[in-house]
Amino acid sequence: MSKEKALVEKIERKFGVKGKAERKRIWINIRKENMIDLCRYLKELGFEHLSAISVTDFIKRGKYELVYVVWSYHDNIAIIVKSEIEREKPVISSVTEIWKESAQIHERELHELFGVEFEGNADLSELFLENWKESPPFRKDFNWREYVGKKYYYKQDEKEKIYLEAGI
Amino acid sequence: MKEELKLKRLVKSIWVFNWFNSCGVTELLPMVGSRWDMERFGMILVDSPRHADCLIIGGYQTEKSMVRVKRIYEQMPEPRVVVALGSCTMSGGMYWDSYNTIKKLEDYMPVDLYIPGCPPRPEAVFQGVYEIMKENGGVKDE
Repeated sequence: MSKEKALVEKIERKFGVKGKAERKRIWINIRKENMIDLCRYLKELGFEHLSAISVTDFIKRGKYELVYVVWSYHDNIAIIVKSEIEREKPVISSVTEIWKESAQIHERELHELFGVEFEGNADLSELFLENWKESPPFRKDFNWREYVGKKYYYKQDEKEKIYLEAGI
Repeated sequence: MKEELKLKRLVKSIWVFNWFNSCGVTELLPMVGSRWDMERFGMILVDSPRHADCLIIGGYQTEKSMVRVKRIYEQMPEPRVVVALGSCTMSGGMYWDSYNTIKKLEDYMPVDLYIPGCPPRPEAVFQGVYEIMKENGGVKDE
């Protein structure tokens, strides 16, 4: 049995989830309540590098899907942990206590762009956007063309607004 | 003597401070290197805006970086010149419908010269700087 198959079975038995293992990659879907326990367990197993956290906005289902990509230098295996949270009330516990600084910057970014609240993160201040008062810009229901028109074209570039209207 | 054969003399060298936050800087690097070598025209990159005559703004600016640009601009001594590089500074370029980038730089700060192109050739930058020197009495007929 390959190393990743053995690992995914170990995780499946411990957390009662369904995983998939293939060519040095492991995919695991887990409920958000157990997510932090799984992350803690992965850190103990030697997955010390958090490569990325990303959010996908599934607007029709009303869900955000959070994807954590963690990597083990010892085993050369990547584990992709997926967890779904409510879109209207996006709250999940922070992994900064586990992966420290590398988690901090990702969570700060996602808080700004998607409005996800990471409970336990000490600093969720603004990163790229300053004085942003609209809804988070990467949400799919944020109408950015309308916002751009209101902010730039109808105020400053009157003669160029035809391009914006043609785009809509 | 025919007009175009007259030699031109530079009476002032231009010291440049760069402010880039997009692909502009990688496209302008050949200008500093040996092939186009901007130092033969007396142009030097300086580390502080307090020593600079010319501020080259490359590429799009965002709401956030505009605050920093204004701060740099205010530190520069008079007379100062602002050169905006590339099509992003004129119309937003490929970010024309982005929520966060500035569309026209001149709505936010004084701009003396736009150099079009995506990116502009180094020759175009030299020509732009030459025009500015001529405008400000930096070039004399010999």
